[in-house]
Amino acid sequence: MQDMSDDKKLIREFMLENFLFGSEESALADDASFLDQGIIDSTGVLELTSWLEETFSIQFFDEEMLPENLDSVNKLLVFIKKKKGLGVADACL
Amino acid sequence: MLVCEYLIRAAHQFPAKIALVRGEDRYTYTQLWHAANSVANWLTASHYPPGFRGAILTDDPFEYISLYFGIQQAGGIVVGLNTQTAERSLLATLGDCGAAVVFANSKFVRQVDKVAACLPFLKHMVCDSGGEAGLAASSSSERASLTDVLLSDNVQPPSLPQPLRGSDIAQIIYTSGTTGTPKGVMLRHENLVANTESIINYLHLTAEDRGMAVLPFFYSYGNSVLLTHVAAGAGLVVNQNFVYPNVILDEMQREQVTGFAGVPSTFALLLHRSAVRNYSFPSLRYLTQAGAAMAPKLARALKEVFPGVDIFVMYGQTEASPRLSYLPPGDLQRKPGSIGKAIPGVKLQLLDPAGRSVGLREVGEIVAQGKNIMAGYWGRPEESATVLTRDGLRTGDLAWMDEEGFFYIFSRKSDVIKSGSHRIAPKEIEEIIHEHEAVHEVAVIGVEDEILGEALKACVVLKAGRGCTEREIVIHCRKNLPAFKVPHLVDFHSELPKTATGKICKGKLGGRTSRIPPPGERGKP
Repeated sequence: MQDMSDDKKLIREFMLENFLFGSEESALADDASFLDQGIIDSTGVLELTSWLEETFSIQFFDEEMLPENLDSVNKLLVFIKKKKGLGVADACL
Repeated sequence: MLVCEYLIRAAHQFPAKIALVRGEDRYTYTQLWHAANSVANWLTASHYPPGFRGAILTDDPFEYISLYFGIQQAGGIVVGLNTQTAERSLLATLGDCGAAVVFANSKFVRQVDKVAACLPFLKHMVCDSGGEAGLAASSSSERASLTDVLLSDNVQPPSLPQPLRGSDIAQIIYTSGTTGTPKGVMLRHENLVANTESIINYLHLTAEDRGMAVLPFFYSYGNSVLLTHVAAGAGLVVNQNFVYPNVILDEMQREQVTGFAGVPSTFALLLHRSAVRNYSFPSLRYLTQAGAAMAPKLARALKEVFPGVDIFVMYGQTEASPRLSYLPPGDLQRKPGSIGKAIPGVKLQLLDPAGRSVGLREVGEIVAQGKNIMAGYWGRPEESATVLTRDGLRTGDLAWMDEEGFFYIFSRKSDVIKSGSHRIAPKEIEEIIHEHEAVHEVAVIGVEDEILGEALKACVVLKAGRGCTEREIVIHCRKNLPAFKVPHLVDFHSELPKTATGKICKGKLGGRTSRIPPPGERGKP
């Protein structure tokens, strides 16, 4: 099973590569809102969820497309963990 | 009637009524009117002459609405700026209109600061925080506090040295031109008033209505949603961030909205990427769509998801304030793909290049007449004369008409791309990509996209011996263009198809493609 810190690394790499276009690591705080920072738009969310589904072998249901699940690196980690049925306490390692 | 009198009238008729809902915040018509008066009194005291250009750069609807009406009450011309703008576009727009004052939300102060030194006409920058030192160092403009200007105690109606007239310019809306340089569409008070009254008439808008506004006010469609609701004394629930459609649906249900305005991509997202089928909207009376005719498949799906809700398909352009035609809800299924007939007060004709009317089911250019037609393009008399002809406004849209007088769009004469709620001139993107040192030539086209309507595709030919990746092109665009103008796809070609005269044949570059998985491929329970 993949370690949570690996998940975080993967998510950060994807966000930096695709939405921040290779900006410095420091440009993306783990708890920064993608929405407030203007990092992502409505089609960007769709790209992100497609990538998450493929990478983590999870499925997003329509009612789960919410900022509380998707709007920061930390929120994504918690959500992925929940989908995988893991304990939340380990999510943000 | 003046546009700014709509707010005054609503504040007198419905002083305690909730005019604006923004998240948990509620604003009455009196609060909006007082804030607009506060703005107008500050501008008057600052001795701005009639017809000055006041630019607004904010994503806060309370600020936008108060500033919009305040600038007009002080005799000024509103220039609503796109909040998704790059420095280059911001400078071009502010420089073109000769803005004397810029009102910026704190989020955008840094952007304005960076260009302020290049704006010789800028007298005041009104904002709250961020970049103060930068402005002092780089610009001769004075600074004022946005909060102080909006919320002063001076809320009595301003007294102007000379009364405003309906023929005065109320607003300039910048729109993509085929040249790649945005053009400022000058709209008189009487243009906007004529269009607003007509829309209220066919939508049957009343003070009982409460509209959900997801479209930005700086575009003409969002602008007309704002004006029609204020003119009717109706309420507006504003959330102009459509990243999470479920959040919008929650608000629509909670606030019991009666109307919803969107573009095709708005409805595609609602139908395919939200939990809309889990909701019910007993208060919802109507939906409006502008930006394109409604595909029969989309119309059927919307009728299923929103049973009993009237669906109005509308057509127009910024130069017409913006509405020109609408398809009555009762004709939606009978006339699939139609944009309907002219709205009250507008005459539409289909003309050939020589100005002769074309026959039924023959394709001609839509030419419009009515009190809603713009005064012209700001500072561009020649371009104005090209579209404002003796026959009326030449829209550049080609259409045909059936035996019952319903219009159907055939194609556009220009190559402007409609992506989401944006109108994008490919030339502007092509110019930026061409600045990349490895690029020999480039053509940007719109390709069909499930969600956006059209996605942006850049077809690039590299210089001999030079290498460049798709990612490098995207990064280059990202640095120089706002996000919505960054190509979604980049294709490399050894050469581009050309006509005998050397012009690129964009028609031969097209093809259906999408960067987003189609509905049904995503996870379903």
